[in-house]
Amino acid sequence: MPDFTLTPTSPLKGFDKQFGDIRLREVTDQAILSLATPLGGETALKAAVGSAWGLEMPAPGRSSRADDGKVHLLGLGADQIFILKPHDHLQPDAPVREALNGAGYATDQSDVWAMLEITGPGLRRALERICPLDLHPDAFPVGAVARTMMEHMGAIILRSGEDAFILLAASSSAGSFLHAVETSLNWTAP
Amino acid sequence: MIINHPLLGPRDAAEFVVKGDANLINRPDWQADDAAQQFYEYAYLRDNPAGEHRELWYHEQGDRSWLVVTRNTLTHEVTKVELARDVARAAGRSA
Repeated sequence: MPDFTLTPTSPLKGFDKQFGDIRLREVTDQAILSLATPLGGETALKAAVGSAWGLEMPAPGRSSRADDGKVHLLGLGADQIFILKPHDHLQPDAPVREALNGAGYATDQSDVWAMLEITGPGLRRALERICPLDLHPDAFPVGAVARTMMEHMGAIILRSGEDAFILLAASSSAGSFLHAVETSLNWTAP
Repeated sequence: MIINHPLLGPRDAAEFVVKGDANLINRPDWQADDAAQQFYEYAYLRDNPAGEHRELWYHEQGDRSWLVVTRNTLTHEVTKVELARDVARAAGRSA
């Protein structure tokens, strides 16, 4: 046997930094899964999601979250759902498949995404410089989600609170994405 | 330019890739007697209107949907945005 061991590491190595009142940190304890609908199985999947987690299927642009925070469904488009849940299983798709009992196709996407959480008052001043969407609470309220791009990189943005956003970007270019967010925060943080 | 996506709301045109004339949806019947002529016209002949034009746009940096955008080529005014799926279904081309 080789005389070394492998240790898991996250795309941004657990980045965590304060910019004035705003905190930017990497989230490393969440699993990300895509959920696809079998052909003609919309009603069955909706029922399975309801009985498994007590959740509605989110409309495109909206998300729904279980009260215990253990499952978060993101509606990214027509028949396109992403699931965020605590990464507490070696194969995160296994318990989801079990819970849905074959009514949906769950695929683990955790390793291809880097997840950032940005919190604090005034953070919109930093995000509005790199995100093409209108992030005013009237246009993008708590629970709103969108797949878009920032600094030419594909990204998913979710408003998790009044002054809190989750950003997802490709793990392969996570460093460039972090640099874009950091630069914007450096320019705008009080 | 802003494209008002029917499902996702207003999105910047930079999120999209334009494919061209929406007539590409109307692929000819390959079993028709004059299929060769029809495919020649389908592949090579395009109207180039100065004014209202229907185009296929692909929401690549978004939900990957195909849209039919009705746009004025003189003013860039976008007057209508539909899901290409719905347009194709209305034309009896998809289940």
